[in-house]
Amino acid sequence: MASTDAAPTPARARPLSPHLSVYRLTLTMVMSGLHRITGMALYASVLLLAWFLMAASMDATAFGVASGFLNSILGRLILFGFTWSLFHHMLGGIRHFIWDAGLGMDAPEREWLAWGTLIGGFVLAILVWAIGLAVYQGASVS
Amino acid sequence: MTEDPNTLRTPLGRVRYLGSARSGMREDWFMRLTSVALVPLTIAFVWLLLSLLAQDYRGVRAELGHPLPAIVVMLFVLVGIYHMQLGMRSVIADYIRGQAREWALMANLFFAAVLALACTYAVLRIGFV
Repeated sequence: MASTDAAPTPARARPLSPHLSVYRLTLTMVMSGLHRITGMALYASVLLLAWFLMAASMDATAFGVASGFLNSILGRLILFGFTWSLFHHMLGGIRHFIWDAGLGMDAPEREWLAWGTLIGGFVLAILVWAIGLAVYQGASVS
Repeated sequence: MTEDPNTLRTPLGRVRYLGSARSGMREDWFMRLTSVALVPLTIAFVWLLLSLLAQDYRGVRAELGHPLPAIVVMLFVLVGIYHMQLGMRSVIADYIRGQAREWALMANLFFAAVLALACTYAVLRIGFV
């Protein structure tokens, strides 16, 4: 565990770094925030995955409750959000690999990468659900 | 002086005593390592998830009873949870101060450990019970 100091109490106010609100909002800033937000959303959604797996490991009744929720409209919406977050975060990670290689840091490239991540995340999520629903359409829930 | 091939710390950084003194780079490196592993695992997992969601109890049990899907789910869960716990660690370091940070870091590790064990146990139980 990292050792952390308690926040010091200054005798007088220390100079602060510029707040977020000082800067003009740019796409790359929004993407940085979205990467973190989708990461946190994925953190929470592992609870759902654990519920689903544990229910499947128990019995048909427990599974029916979990599966029933996930296949409800609310459940489907949450799952779509989960898959979108997953793809968005994955593409964001690939963007970071490109930067780690020392590429794509100039203004036009990083704008393109940002748009590609943003649009790509939605395209992949919608594509996967379209394929999933088309292939497994009509499959009923127990 | 021989260069340690396992460190990303530059000789200049060492001389100036700047940057991580101990295991800071290691955390950063593991974040990237797990990211690389998670790209194929995520694609495989989403593929599997869509087929699992459409199935009933017997179907899900049968599918997760096969070694390959079970291994994909367990790898995704374990690598994913390690990755997300590191991510939450840096979020906590950014936004939480003082004593609350210690509690948050602990809670993060407990949450990750419990979920990792729960998911792994569930998949193994489907396969073996």
